[in-house]
Amino acid sequence: MNNKVLLGCALCFAAFPSFSDVNISGFTSINAGKVLSGTGVPHYGINEPTFLADYPIVSVYNEDITFKPESLFGLQVTADVSEGLSATAQIVARGADDFNAEFEWAYLSYEINENWTVQAGKKRLPLFYYSDFYDVGYAYVWMRAPADNYTWQIFNYNGVNALYTGSIGDWSLSGNIYFGREDDKENKLLSEFFFGEPTREIWKDIIGGVIQTSNDWLEIRATAMSYTNQRYIGGEPSTWNGKDERDGNFYGLAVNADFGNFFVLSELNRLDLDGNLDTAMLTLGYRIDSFTPFVSYSTFDQKDGDDGEDHNTTSFGIRWDFHSNAAFKIQYDEVEDNSYELAVAGDSKAITIGVDMVF
Amino acid sequence: MKNLIILTLVLFTSCSLSAAVDVIVHPSNANAIDAGDIKKIFTGKAKSFADGSKALPITQADGNPVTDEFNQNVLSKSSSQLKAYWSKLVFTGKGTPPEEAANDAEVVSLVSKNPNLIGFVSKGSADGSVKVVQSF
Repeated sequence: MNNKVLLGCALCFAAFPSFSDVNISGFTSINAGKVLSGTGVPHYGINEPTFLADYPIVSVYNEDITFKPESLFGLQVTADVSEGLSATAQIVARGADDFNAEFEWAYLSYEINENWTVQAGKKRLPLFYYSDFYDVGYAYVWMRAPADNYTWQIFNYNGVNALYTGSIGDWSLSGNIYFGREDDKENKLLSEFFFGEPTREIWKDIIGGVIQTSNDWLEIRATAMSYTNQRYIGGEPSTWNGKDERDGNFYGLAVNADFGNFFVLSELNRLDLDGNLDTAMLTLGYRIDSFTPFVSYSTFDQKDGDDGEDHNTTSFGIRWDFHSNAAFKIQYDEVEDNSYELAVAGDSKAITIGVDMVF
Repeated sequence: MKNLIILTLVLFTSCSLSAAVDVIVHPSNANAIDAGDIKKIFTGKAKSFADGSKALPITQADGNPVTDEFNQNVLSKSSSQLKAYWSKLVFTGKGTPPEEAANDAEVVSLVSKNPNLIGFVSKGSADGSVKVVQSF
């Protein structure tokens, strides 16, 4: 983030517009936690108290204190070629994957004019408000974006994205439209947590849009996305109503209000995939100098059937900005898992602490 | 831990006591620039001046009192809030934070040589080579 290396070059930039540079920035989170108590899901073989802190990465805490599930290290390299053209790659090593470094983002970006930018390559699927910067703990108040909401199997895609930024009076306006697909040969969440065998998850014909507007204190984001899902569990194609594919539609609305010290974050989402899966989140926070205590509630509710997937989390925590590039966080989470048939990890009470940093 | 808390408090107090901020541009920049424009340019929400020419903001190093004062008074954000805001944009390919200069003198020197730049300095640091458009 800090361009000190380039400082002396603010001048050369202006004088020699063809000058190109490479900028390196990064983020890291070192988190630790443990479950205080919980039920597990004995009828699915989860016999010890378990807190699933995030779904896509499968960050699991048990009763022994551990640092691995959510710790990560990310490096972003951006090469500004010139005339609005740049190339960006983001490499992330996660404790949940034994710190094997993976390219999470790799895209070319071309700024057509002041308002429009086109990007092509591998990017994060911008479903939820926090999807794009899910890995950058420093950018938000909690230990993690609320797990009940961020239950996606696919979180990257390969494709094209057109990005707009502009303003109308005091309101700034931004949005993007994207197309693409993702073929995840061995999906971590489905393989490790749900089906217990290698699962290939395909999301194709992804088309989506996001529109976002904000003024001094209010921010509203609305989004819609549709895709076609194919799945192979242990090599065998899954079928739904006799077909080997199904369509999904996602809708989301996020509203954030900032009153100076007091702020409210909220999100409401629906995934229509053979029935509706509804998620919602509400967070209240208050800034006292460098301390930000917050309370949060999030819920996941499958509308169809008598015993659909149904869980919620109540959280309390404090973020402390103890350094200009780093924040310390502590958070208590209480999860209620109300379904028997579609239980995920059972009830749990857990505590996690961590330090998030950007550089 | 205790020392850190005290340090934080001291830093906080010293910020609120520091001097005022002048926003400066190149003398040839004839645009009317109000507080709202400055806020948009320094948060990446506007990339040009009213006449359509490119606007390139320059900030100052984190520890400089004038930086904290500008962030608080003009952008209404603490430096950590601002850093969180920029990390959200940087790591999603949606924006780049302003270039950073070491001190008032460097900002004045850079702005005096480039009509596209806009910067801020402690009150009284601007000389005849630049134009003060707003004071906070």
